[in-house]
Amino acid sequence: MPKPPKLLGNKEMASCMQVLRALQSYLDGQTDEVTTGRVAKHLEACRRCGLEAATYREIKAALARSAAPLNLALLERLRAFGSSLSRQGPDDEGEGTGL
Amino acid sequence: MPQLAGRAPEDAFERYVLPELEVLARVARSVTRNSHDAEDLVQETLLSAYRAIDRFDGQHPRAWLLTILRNAEAKRHRKRRPFLLREGEEPAATVGYDFSSAARSPEQLVVGEQFDAVVAASLRSLPQHQRQVVELVDLDGLSYAEAAEVIGVPVGTVMSRLHRARSRIRRRLVAAGLAPKRAWP
Repeated sequence: MPKPPKLLGNKEMASCMQVLRALQSYLDGQTDEVTTGRVAKHLEACRRCGLEAATYREIKAALARSAAPLNLALLERLRAFGSSLSRQGPDDEGEGTGL
Repeated sequence: MPQLAGRAPEDAFERYVLPELEVLARVARSVTRNSHDAEDLVQETLLSAYRAIDRFDGQHPRAWLLTILRNAEAKRHRKRRPFLLREGEEPAATVGYDFSSAARSPEQLVVGEQFDAVVAASLRSLPQHQRQVVELVDLDGLSYAEAAEVIGVPVGTVMSRLHRARSRIRRRLVAAGLAPKRAWP
């Protein structure tokens, strides 16, 4: 299964090109330990890549802010449904929910 | 790791399933696009999880539940009548942009209300497949693997859709003068 990109080479410092390829995966926390370390180190030193990272970070933050809160009544109904399942099992064991 | 053998099913259900309820509700909303279907989908997921809990080994409860959710949604689709726009469902939004105010692209980011507004509008206008992965990962907080599980595609597909979607959002921000152009080709 394809994985997020690893940085190539034996250099201690990754190149900008390598970092850019891995950047979004890195910001999503989806890169392996070695890659994460190399990207972090590069971003400390490189202004251009740092700006690129800041841009994507702000986009992610704005997206998270755009999430509408869940309908509280719906959530309460689901919690009640879940709790009642937990306590006494399904209403009509063996049948569908009839929805 | 606690053994599940000898533990009553309702304990396991309470321990592993109920804490994930809010995540399930968010994902169901992202996947079904209206709150009636989302509620149905979560209920179906909870019922299936309840019936299968004694076979659950306690590893990765969220991933386990998201697989159940995906299967429940697939089942709902097979039963569904031809798609009609139901009451309460929003048609896809079309967004126009005022490019007249976009001057030179700035050296730095211009964050604030306008930034958020452009991002939100861009999200709504993304192609459905891209919008869905952005919602699952950036709004609902799923990992790439969890999002892949829900949609039923490889992780690589999630990655490429997600990264392209964000690049598209980024281009809108550049056009609006709120983000710097990429410094490389």
